[in-house]
Amino acid sequence: MISRTSRPDTRSRLLLYLLLVLVLAIGALLILFQLRPHSYHGWLLESPKPAADFTLTSGSGERVSLSDFRGKLVLLYFGYTYCPDVCPTSMAAIAEAMRQLGARSEDVAVVMVTVDPGRDTPEKVAEYAAHFNPDFIGLSGTPEEIAAAATPLGIYYEKRGAGGENYTVDHTATITVVDREGRVRLVFPFETTPEEIASDLAALLR
Amino acid sequence: MARQAVAPLTSTRLRWNWRWLPLLAAGLIFLGILLFATLRPIKVLPRMRLSPSFALIDQAGRKLTSEDLRGQVVLYGFGYSRCGASCSEIEHAMRGVQRQLLRGAAAGVPVRMVLISVDPEVDDATALSAYADRLGADPERWRFATGAPASLKQTVGGGFEVFYGTGADGQLRLDPALVLVDGAGIIRREYRAHDVGGLPDADRLMSHIALLQEEARGSEGLGRLAYEAAHLFVCYAP
Repeated sequence: MISRTSRPDTRSRLLLYLLLVLVLAIGALLILFQLRPHSYHGWLLESPKPAADFTLTSGSGERVSLSDFRGKLVLLYFGYTYCPDVCPTSMAAIAEAMRQLGARSEDVAVVMVTVDPGRDTPEKVAEYAAHFNPDFIGLSGTPEEIAAAATPLGIYYEKRGAGGENYTVDHTATITVVDREGRVRLVFPFETTPEEIASDLAALLR
Repeated sequence: MARQAVAPLTSTRLRWNWRWLPLLAAGLIFLGILLFATLRPIKVLPRMRLSPSFALIDQAGRKLTSEDLRGQVVLYGFGYSRCGASCSEIEHAMRGVQRQLLRGAAAGVPVRMVLISVDPEVDDATALSAYADRLGADPERWRFATGAPASLKQTVGGGFEVFYGTGADGQLRLDPALVLVDGAGIIRREYRAHDVGGLPDADRLMSHIALLQEEARGSEGLGRLAYEAAHLFVCYAP
């Protein structure tokens, strides 16, 4: 009996090969798309180091350390309650970002630290922060404690204007994000939008 | 013997089909990513950590703060006027960078240098001024500054992580270091005497300064994506 087997010719094989390569490429792209890195709007630190711990006083008089928030993302904002424009803008942006994050905002602690310990008692900062969102935490402390918190994060502040109670405080207006392991991870420059903040935080919470 | 019917052999011609276009595009994108990750056409310096804040006094008695330097590339050196041979490499490298800056080698984001003295008890404004003159510093580009001991320790030791202290013999000890900071106040490179290869020369420092300037220039619009990809794929300059 004569049997003849059909075999695909060279072109068919080439076609199959090309299709296989393309299917693999698409598969890889789909995986990459799923695992795609987030394009951060803030400045992402690539070799993040543990943030220097600090301890300050909350509105209830409790002593609160940065390390107490381990396991949560911490948004640190340095401002003051008499701040005429920059601080309310930034705090409102953070509040809106938290609203956009929805339930995921439970994994984020927003902490405002005063750079004006002369006028901002812990109660005052706590009340100011809570005005933007009841979950926001306001902290104050001695000038030395505040300097210890601000200096390693590159936050500069300086009194301006006449003496007495009539002065403003110039300060660095960035927002610093400490990740769940306690490392400084991201910095938002002033005027980062709530959408951008929420999007970056969502990526860090993934 | 029964004859078996044999199906005629068919030949498939490889013809272009527009339905392949998305597949081809996907393949090209994949190839592009692969090439970018392999060839690393853009080199960057990693964003290491935040540079500390400070308020110091310079050789002219003027206040110099970290905020004054925001938006500029800053090369920090750490030394003191009585340091002698231990600081000579730092001083030599910074002088070399100044020479190249004066020749206009770095165009773009302004570049400044700050030598922070870790010996505030001796290095007052007069001593710093003499120190600056000795090194031929152009006061517009290169400032010498120091501050109160406690805050200086917080800034230099804690923030820049440069060790200094008094030895058992009462002499000041310093691990010579240079630190390069970008306009956002982020440390992008540290150079320490105990690194493999030691402290860098002016050419290497200038090449790193140029990278920061290029990144600042090229990070607008779509260019930002390319630079972010370079950070993502660890396309770090040696």
